[in-house]
Amino acid sequence: MDVLRSENVELMFGIPGAATLPLYDELLDSGIRHILVRHEQGAAHMADGYARIKRSPGICIATSGAGATNLVTGVATAYLDSSPVIAITGQVPTNVMGSDGFQEADIFSLMMPITKHNFRVTDPSTLATDLRSAFRISMSGRFGPVHIDIPKDVLTRENGVQPPPTSVDATRPGPRSDEALVAAKMLMAAERPLIMLGGGAKWSRAGTEALAIAEKLAAPIVTTLMGKGAVPETHPLVLGLVGMHGRAAANYALDNCDVLLAVGARFSDRTVGEAGSCNMKVIHVDIDRTELGKNICPTLGIVADAKAALSAINDLIDLKIHSSMWSKSSGDMMGRCDCDIDVCEDPISPRKVIFELNRILPQDAIIVTEVGQCQMWAAHFLEIRDQRTFVTSGGLGTMGFGLPAAIGAKFAAPDRKVIDIAGDGSFMMVCQELATASKENIPVAVVLMNNTRLGMIKQHQRIFYGNRLTAQDLSGVDMVKLAEAFGAEGIRVDDYRDLVPALETALESEGPVLVDIQINREEDIFPLTLRTAAGSTVYRGSCPYNGGC
Amino acid sequence: MEVISMIVNDEFGVMQRIMGEFTRKRINVETIVVGKCEVPGKARIVLTVLDKEMADIAVERLGRLHDVEDVEIVDESRQSAYALISTSKGWIGLVGSRNEVAEIIERARPEHYINTVNAL
Ligand SMILES: Cc1ncc(C[n+]2csc(CCOP(=O)(O)OP(=O)(O)O)c2C)c(N)n1
Repeated sequence: MDVLRSENVELMFGIPGAATLPLYDELLDSGIRHILVRHEQGAAHMADGYARIKRSPGICIATSGAGATNLVTGVATAYLDSSPVIAITGQVPTNVMGSDGFQEADIFSLMMPITKHNFRVTDPSTLATDLRSAFRISMSGRFGPVHIDIPKDVLTRENGVQPPPTSVDATRPGPRSDEALVAAKMLMAAERPLIMLGGGAKWSRAGTEALAIAEKLAAPIVTTLMGKGAVPETHPLVLGLVGMHGRAAANYALDNCDVLLAVGARFSDRTVGEAGSCNMKVIHVDIDRTELGKNICPTLGIVADAKAALSAINDLIDLKIHSSMWSKSSGDMMGRCDCDIDVCEDPISPRKVIFELNRILPQDAIIVTEVGQCQMWAAHFLEIRDQRTFVTSGGLGTMGFGLPAAIGAKFAAPDRKVIDIAGDGSFMMVCQELATASKENIPVAVVLMNNTRLGMIKQHQRIFYGNRLTAQDLSGVDMVKLAEAFGAEGIRVDDYRDLVPALETALESEGPVLVDIQINREEDIFPLTLRTAAGSTVYRGSCPYNGGC
Repeated sequence: MEVISMIVNDEFGVMQRIMGEFTRKRINVETIVVGKCEVPGKARIVLTVLDKEMADIAVERLGRLHDVEDVEIVDESRQSAYALISTSKGWIGLVGSRNEVAEIIERARPEHYINTVNAL
């Protein structure tokens, strides 16, 4: 507890069990708030959502056995999105360990491949040090989750050993000066430079530095799903989301650039398709050296913090171009991409929902998403401008991330409006956390894009499996009643004209609200771009332009 | 064949964590030796993989682990192969270069043997 307090932990999310009761007993007098969730997966996602907004560790806690295994999905989600979650699990007493005791699971082994590091504390005198290390490790280099498994007897025998002093190593490694110089020269020599920002750029808050370089070079910026919002999407050089469900302008720029400055991005298959499709010169900046060369072979690899690296490179760029054919042509593409999504018809188009959200969300709103078409409509069409923040499960694509992460985000930023853009399938995986939100009076708005289906599955079956639909029908649930049963407000919207009042009510409410928007069940998310070494295939929607959505 | 040497925390779970990196990258470990070393509380692991590229990847990934203090690829001059063979005359321990040991095993046609690589 002393360690937790000295690390400025204000709250943790969890569910108690026999193995963690000693800790809960101490928690009562610790001044640290505990949020009782309804499922441990929710606790892990809440800690994750909290961490992504606070940019400091979020804590979740579960008991031994099933409690601990329930955390696994949430911890894996945090791992793939480099989020500093600290997962504490109770464990059976050391003398029982290894005997298949009641509620014993080898969570130490289970967590190993999905954490930066994990501890199994077997000696009470190292508990404080290990906890302290957990905080340091989660926030050093590339952020990530750390797990600590604590047998019950270690908890009870913990004898107030003085924790070592806090040792936050806030230094973020910069690039070598020769590397920064080569990067700057490559960028200045480029005819068609492009900057691609990933989650690393967002974690490192490198947006200002990226824009400074972009403006000097008249280089457009694209963002991956995890990088969305690293720079305001209203800036004329920002082309928005790149990748499978990205914007045509952004994908055009990626296809046609000659030098790509990729920052904190891992060149995932959902972003760049086949690695062989990247045959431009690549400057790859990442704080994790194992990312360099993992998916693509960069011309220049720089192991450094995104902000520090961009700032150093920016200082070495002395060229000022005010406009170029390149930025103009991609800018023109962008203009055509900004097509009209103010679709006034029923059944309601999901694009209309995003259109209205773009208008009415406050400029510092936090937008969390679930996974599926709902996520991609948000990623493609939602404008993350000003101080808005976009939070999504990009790496693991975890359905059920959104609602608990939104609750966690709200705890981290009580003054900001938080919404979860949800699909009905994802929402139902964690809907019980509405009860947590009601009980704790957490006003999050679930904007449910209800197509009564696993929409993304339907879309894939339609396009890639000859329209042979199976295992995608979720109809028959009354979402308003469900919300009300959990003590939340439920508003059903069937007519697009009722959208704005319903969303406004949800944003104004003092408690959780579910807006059950009956969207057009047939609408799919386009464009869908498949990049291969031989070129891209684009499945288009209704866009009148070649290349638009 | 590439030889990787590392100094690691001498604790339970460490081998699993290290081997996990090889599992995830689908790298087969050809030989592995673990033992106490000059640093208190640490152990030295020497292992071999076939491919240089895989060895480089493994070294980078291992370098990220908090249980690994130091990791490097060691060149031929610092390697030593050894084997234990059982022949009709009993057990014989062999030490030498990788080639030497391999040749002796080839000639002796032992009923059972284990051949591995060590390094400092
Ligand atoms: C936990 C989990 N299980 C399965 C999947 C595979 N999957 C990806 S999208 C999707 C459908 C999501 O449906 P819904 O939440 O209703 O959103 P929609 O696509 O309809 O907007 C599924 C099943 C997943 N991403 N996560």
